[in-house]
Order: sequence, then C-alpha cells, then structure tokens
Amino acid sequence: MIIVTGASRGLGRAVAVSLFKSGKEVVGLSRNITDCSFPTLTCDVTNSESVKAAYKQIKGFKQPVSALINAAGVASMNLALTTPIKTVEKIINTNLVGTILTNQAFAPLIIRSGGGVIINFSTIAVSIGLEGESVYVASKAGVEAFSRTFAREMSPFRVRVNCIAPGPIDTDLTAGLDEKQIEAVVQRQIIQKKFQPENVAELVELLLDDRTNSITGQVLNVGGV
Amino acid sequence: MQKLEQLAFETIVNAIQSDAIEIRYETPLIGAGSILDSMKLVEVCLALEDVAEERGFEFDWTSESAMSTKRSIFRNVRSLVGHFCEQGTKE
Repeated sequence: MIIVTGASRGLGRAVAVSLFKSGKEVVGLSRNITDCSFPTLTCDVTNSESVKAAYKQIKGFKQPVSALINAAGVASMNLALTTPIKTVEKIINTNLVGTILTNQAFAPLIIRSGGGVIINFSTIAVSIGLEGESVYVASKAGVEAFSRTFAREMSPFRVRVNCIAPGPIDTDLTAGLDEKQIEAVVQRQIIQKKFQPENVAELVELLLDDRTNSITGQVLNVGGV
Repeated sequence: MQKLEQLAFETIVNAIQSDAIEIRYETPLIGAGSILDSMKLVEVCLALEDVAEERGFEFDWTSESAMSTKRSIFRNVRSLVGHFCEQGTKE
C-alpha cells in the first residue's frame, strides 16, 4: 500500500491517480475528502492527533505499507516583510511540521513491511532562492534538510527518503498565478519548460522502483537548476 | 500490573536479543553505557507497540517524556517498562 498525503488536489491528487491507475494500492489522505477514484482517509497533517488517527486506521488495514508520498502543502507568494504571522505559521505548520509528523507516524509502518520509500515534496524555489517566496522557501528548505537527515536515520531499516522539488506545474494550485511570474521561474530551470503533473508522477514511480535503490537523501529538482 | 511489567520486560529482552549482555532493569537504553544503537531501540519500541495492541491499548513512544534527558522513558529498561505499564493501565 502507498500512502499519499495532500491527495485531494494538486500534485498529490495527480500522483495518487497515476499510481492507482497503474494498479498500485493507494490510500489518499487529505483534510477534506473529495470525489476520488482511490480510497481516502481524512487527515490534517498539521494535527498530530489527526495523523495518529490515520496511522491507526491504516495499521488496522493489516497490509504492508511500501511507501509514503508527502504532497500535502500550501504555497504562498509574499514578500517576507509583508507576510502576516498567521500566514507564516500556516506555511511552516503545513509544509514542515506536517512533513515531520507524517514521516514520524508512517515510517514505522514501512519499517514493519521490511523497508520502502518516502518521498517528500520541496520546490525548485529553494535552490534558486526565489524572491517573493521567502517563508515558503524556508519551510521547504526545512523539508529538504529533514529528508536528508531522516534518510540516514532510516537507512538501517532499508527505507529510502528523497525529495522531489518541482517548479511551476500545471495544477489547480497554480491556475490562479500570474503567467509572467510562472514563466520567470521556468526560465531559471535548466530545462526551460513548464512540466506537467504526469512528469512528476513518473518521477515518483521511478523513485518507488527498486532499480533506484541506490538513491536516498537526495533532492531531485524537476527541470534542473 | 505485575504480569504486564513482566511481559514488557520479556518483550524488551527478546527484542534486544543479546547473548553477550544480561539485560537487567537498570540496563541503560540511551546515553552513556547504552547497549543499543538507534536501530535496536526502534525495534524494541515496535515490539512493545505490538504487545500493547494485543492487549488493547496504545503504546506512545513519541511523548514529551521520551525526549527528556532526566525523565526519558529510554533511561533504562525500568523506565521503559514503567512507561509501558503506565499507558497500559491508563486505558
């Protein structure tokens, strides 16, 4: 079984749908259950009790868990100087604390299954230091640092931990953004192309494949930087 | 309570699986003199979690006290057994 957080929309949904279509057993976690083709559970990744409840439910399925894909997150484009503290807290709690809580809760299930894969989501904005996203970048830089270190802690248990760091990807989350801003980011990628959710889903499937069993503690920037 | 304590102790001993060292209640699990690496410690916790589940309660090894140096549940076997029994009798 593969756990996907943030599965109700955006990249999380695209990844969960792609894995489900390819025949993988998927359970999607999200704050709000929407109409999904794959099984879902309610889970607020910022709330440790909610994460524990999801853990209990999944453990109750009594099926091996081979992977956790952490796509739950919020994006916010603000200058640091003008970002309200509530927004700062929301971004850090969802992106960084949420990632830590879910890794902490679900990694034991993967250990019990004899090993597997954890994929956390960062952003290409970390590597390019994208102006106007300081707080968001800080939260995701934390995710990258956590993942690199957690990879070492999980290595004895045969659990690989990596990050995927996409640039602007066509999802409902980027639909409201200014095209000029998106293009400016794309121009800073090595491959100057706006990638699609399917490209990220393929990268996820690649990292889940045992043929990539030498890759851990890495950040894969989609499009390159 | 005594039964649960015994069960927890035996679970810890079995999970550690050491022929080289005799596991006692005062055997340290973390810090100076610890006989366990972090991998073994997680295995001990997973084994206790299984026993707790069989007995119908939840063994939480990520509590605040787990992190405290002075009050850490991993100070030694006794403190871990105590924490386990406390959770077992609470629920």
